[in-house]
Amino acid sequence: MPDKSHVGRRYTAAGQRVAPESARAVAQAIAGATEVREPDAVPPTFAAVYCLGPTLAKLFSDSEVGMDLAGLIHGEQSFEWPEPVRPGDVVDATAEITGVDTRRGMTFVRLAMEAVRPADSAVVCRGTSLMIVRAPA
Amino acid sequence: MSAPAASEVAVGDSVTPFSRTVTQEQVHAYADASGDHNPIHLDPDFARSVGLPGTIAHGMLEMGILAEAIASWAGGSANLLSLSCRFSKPLLPGDTIICTGTVVSIDDSGVATLEVAASSDRGDRVLTNGRATLRPSR
Repeated sequence: MPDKSHVGRRYTAAGQRVAPESARAVAQAIAGATEVREPDAVPPTFAAVYCLGPTLAKLFSDSEVGMDLAGLIHGEQSFEWPEPVRPGDVVDATAEITGVDTRRGMTFVRLAMEAVRPADSAVVCRGTSLMIVRAPA
Repeated sequence: MSAPAASEVAVGDSVTPFSRTVTQEQVHAYADASGDHNPIHLDPDFARSVGLPGTIAHGMLEMGILAEAIASWAGGSANLLSLSCRFSKPLLPGDTIICTGTVVSIDDSGVATLEVAASSDRGDRVLTNGRATLRPSR
């Protein structure tokens, strides 16, 4: 289970490709039965795929932290896009545990993340997440 | 589409009302597209075993719909500078998500800040504490 000793741990997922076909698939899933409005754009929340997802996967596989995935809830999310990400970009994503608190049997894990496009050193996304691990039933 | 340029946005303006019914098929499509196959989104029995009423939509799918609601009003997703929210209540497949937003301030550099939210047609406040900012027009 995560605790305060894990604050400061960093996870890097380098070389995340913003694949145009993946961005389009996410845009279509968001659109559902409706038409995608911007078929050639990367949906802003595709950051979940090139930044949040791959760094979370590293955190989830960190056995010393031991996140209990069965009780995991995504509590809050923020994203900022200082530079628009483009289809075909390759970015390096990093995330850091910035806080761990336990209240009422639940563990609140805060993360800060960033995606940088090495080609021009542009920060294309910054974000914060709150992940809540519920106590086993 | 009658989307305003960011320079035309004024304090008090509201995002064009935006709603979308989210289906289980769509949740599956989002799982495949995003790679998030957490069974709480896909397997009703598993979802109930962890205390949920059934499968629930991905928070990031809801946030994606909110982003689309704002972007389509604000002249395109490239105008969205930031977005944040709390996933307060689950959205269940079959629910309609209703996205709202109002411009609350515009700073000296022209960045507009909106308070944004989403609720379900069953009355649950799904996304709360929402904030979005729009890039100044170039």
